[in-house]
Amino acid sequence: MATVTYAKASRIYPGTDRAAVDQLDLQIGDGEFLVLVGPSGCGKSTSLRMLAGLEDVDQGAIYINDKDVTNLPPKSRDIAMVFQNYALYPHMTVYENMAFALKLRKTPKSEIDVRVKKAAQMLQLEEYLGRKPKALSGGQRQRVAMGRAIVREPQVFLMDEPLSNLDAKLRVQTRSQIATLQSQLGITTVYVTHDQVEAMTMGHRVAVMLDGVLQQCDTPRALYDRPSNVFVAGFIGSPAMNIKTVQLTDGGAVFGQLVLPLTREQVAAAQSEGGNGQVTVGFRPEDSALVGAGDGGLPIVVDLVEDLGANANVYGHAAINGGEERFVVTTSRAQMPSLGETVYIKPAADHHHAFHAASGVRI
Amino acid sequence: MKTIRHTVLTLWALVFTVPLLWAFMSSVKTDAEIFDSPWQPPATPHFENWSRAWEQASIGRYLGNTVIVVGGSLTLTMLLGALVAYCLARYEFPGNRTIYYTLVAGMLFPVFLALVPLFFVVKQLGMLNTYHGLILVYTAYALPFTVFFLHGFFRALPGAVAEAAFIDGASHAGVFWRVMLPMARPGMVSIGIFNFLGLWNQYLLPKALNTDPDDYVITQGLAALATSRGASSDWSGLFAGLVIAILPVLIAYVFFQRQIRAGLTAGAVR
Repeated sequence: MATVTYAKASRIYPGTDRAAVDQLDLQIGDGEFLVLVGPSGCGKSTSLRMLAGLEDVDQGAIYINDKDVTNLPPKSRDIAMVFQNYALYPHMTVYENMAFALKLRKTPKSEIDVRVKKAAQMLQLEEYLGRKPKALSGGQRQRVAMGRAIVREPQVFLMDEPLSNLDAKLRVQTRSQIATLQSQLGITTVYVTHDQVEAMTMGHRVAVMLDGVLQQCDTPRALYDRPSNVFVAGFIGSPAMNIKTVQLTDGGAVFGQLVLPLTREQVAAAQSEGGNGQVTVGFRPEDSALVGAGDGGLPIVVDLVEDLGANANVYGHAAINGGEERFVVTTSRAQMPSLGETVYIKPAADHHHAFHAASGVRI
Repeated sequence: MKTIRHTVLTLWALVFTVPLLWAFMSSVKTDAEIFDSPWQPPATPHFENWSRAWEQASIGRYLGNTVIVVGGSLTLTMLLGALVAYCLARYEFPGNRTIYYTLVAGMLFPVFLALVPLFFVVKQLGMLNTYHGLILVYTAYALPFTVFFLHGFFRALPGAVAEAAFIDGASHAGVFWRVMLPMARPGMVSIGIFNFLGLWNQYLLPKALNTDPDDYVITQGLAALATSRGASSDWSGLFAGLVIAILPVLIAYVFFQRQIRAGLTAGAVR
C-alpha cells in the first residue's frame, strides 16, 4: 500500500541537452492504477525506470510513501516490475522464476511455496510450474512475469508495455485480467503503454506525455471530454479528432461554409498573444454526423470507407481556403456512402474543442 | 555437384581418420607385425603394449602432470575470464575500453617473441619447473581470447533480465552468479572446451619453462617417447603411448563438436 510522488523529477542523458523527462510532477494515490501514455520517445518508459531505480534522477526527487527513494538502488524500493519482453530467467523453471525474489530475501521455504502456488493459481499457471520459460507460449510467459511481480507483494507494481508482445486477441483478454487483478490486490500500479485504448480502458487516471513533458493527467473521461491541448486532443480517441487551424471571426471559427460557434471568452482567448486572427478547432469523428445537402454541413468528397461492422469510418477531403483538408466521420452502417460521393458533415453542437492557434492550449 | 562435394569430403575425412585408425591398430600389434604386415589387423590384440607405454614410457605420469596443469589453468582462466569479461561488457567506467583493448591485443602478440623475457620472469619468480608457474603462464596465455569471446557473449545477453534480477533484490555479485553466468553457459562451455584443447596441446611454453623430465606434460612426453622408444626399438610401445595421449582430446572432440565449432568461428564475420 503506497503512494508515489514525482517531484520535478528530470532525467537528462549524458551528452544530450534536452531532458528525456522534464520536471515531471505527478502524485499517484494509494491503490491507484495510473497509466503513462504517449508516442515512442516521449519519456514514459524513462519515467517508469526512474521510479524503478534503473535510471538516474538528475534533478528533483521521487517518493514512495513520503520516503525519498531518489538515490536508493532498485532492491531497496520494494517494487516489482513487468517488462515488455518479460525478462524471465531462462535457466530457471516457472516456479524458480517466481520464487527468486523471495529466496533472495531468505523467506522461509514453506512460505515461498504457499505464495508461489497462490499466484500460480490466480494466473492459471499451476500445471506449468516445472517448465522452463522457453517451453511456454507468449501469453503464458506474460503471466509468469505477472506472477513474479505478484508473489513479491510489493508496494508498487511497475509495468512497461507488458502486452505489446501479445497478439491482438490475447492482448484484449489480458488487459481485462490485469485490470481485475490490480483491483483485487489493491496495489498501486504505474503502467506504461503507447496504446491509447489500453490507457483509456485500464487506467483510473491517465498521464499523457510528449517530448519528456507531462501534457495532462486526468481520468480517461476527462481526457476525452476536455483535452487540455491539441496534442492530447489528437492522441486520445480513435480515429483521431479532426483538428484544423482556421480563420477566427466574432461568431466563431470559419470552416468553409461551416461556422463553429465559440463563446465570447473563447474568442478573446484565441485573439491573445500570437493568435494571429486564427484559432485551432477540433471535433471528434463520433461527435459529427452526415446531414442532408441543405442542412448547413461541410461538403466532403469520400476517399475511403472503413466498415467496422457496428459502424463505419468515412474519410474524405474538402477544399477550405484554397487548401485541401482531410476529415473523418464515424457514421452508422445505414448511412455508409460510396467512394467519390460528396457528403455533408456537421459536428454536433457543443461537442467541439477550441485551442489557441499558436500555443495549442485549450481555450 | 552434390556428388563431387561428397567425394571431396569423404576423401578429406579419410585423410584424417585413416592415420588415426592405423595408429590405433598398430598400437595393439607386435613389432614384427607392424613391419611384416603394416595394413593387416593383428592376429591377437596386444593390449600389454598400452600398459608398457603407461608405465615404462611414463605416459601415465605425463598425463597426470598435464591434468594438473591444464585443470588448474583452465579453472583459473574460466573464473577470471568470466569475471573480467562480464565487468567490461556490462559496466561503463573510465578506462573500460583501454583495459579491453589491452587484453585483446594480447591475442595479436606472438608467443615466440615473449618466450625469452617470459623465461626470465618465471625464473626470477622461482617458478621454473613448477606446476603453479606453468599454470599461471597458461592462464595468462589463454585469457585474452577467453575475455574477447565471453565479452561478446555477455554483451549479447538481454539487459532486461539483469534489471529484473536487480529489482528482485539481487546484488551485483548475485546478478552475475545467479543469473548472468548461468545464462552464458553455452558460451562458457564453448570457450572452456576450446581452451582445454589449446592448453592440452600446448608444447612451446612447457618446452621452455618446464624442463625437468619428471614434470613433463603429455606433449613433451610424446616427444620424449619418440626418442626413448625409438632408441629401444619399441615401435608398438610408441604407438600405444601415442594413442593414450590423443585419447582425451579425441573424446573431447567427439562429445563437444558443436561447442568447438562455435569457439572456432567466434569473432568471424558471419
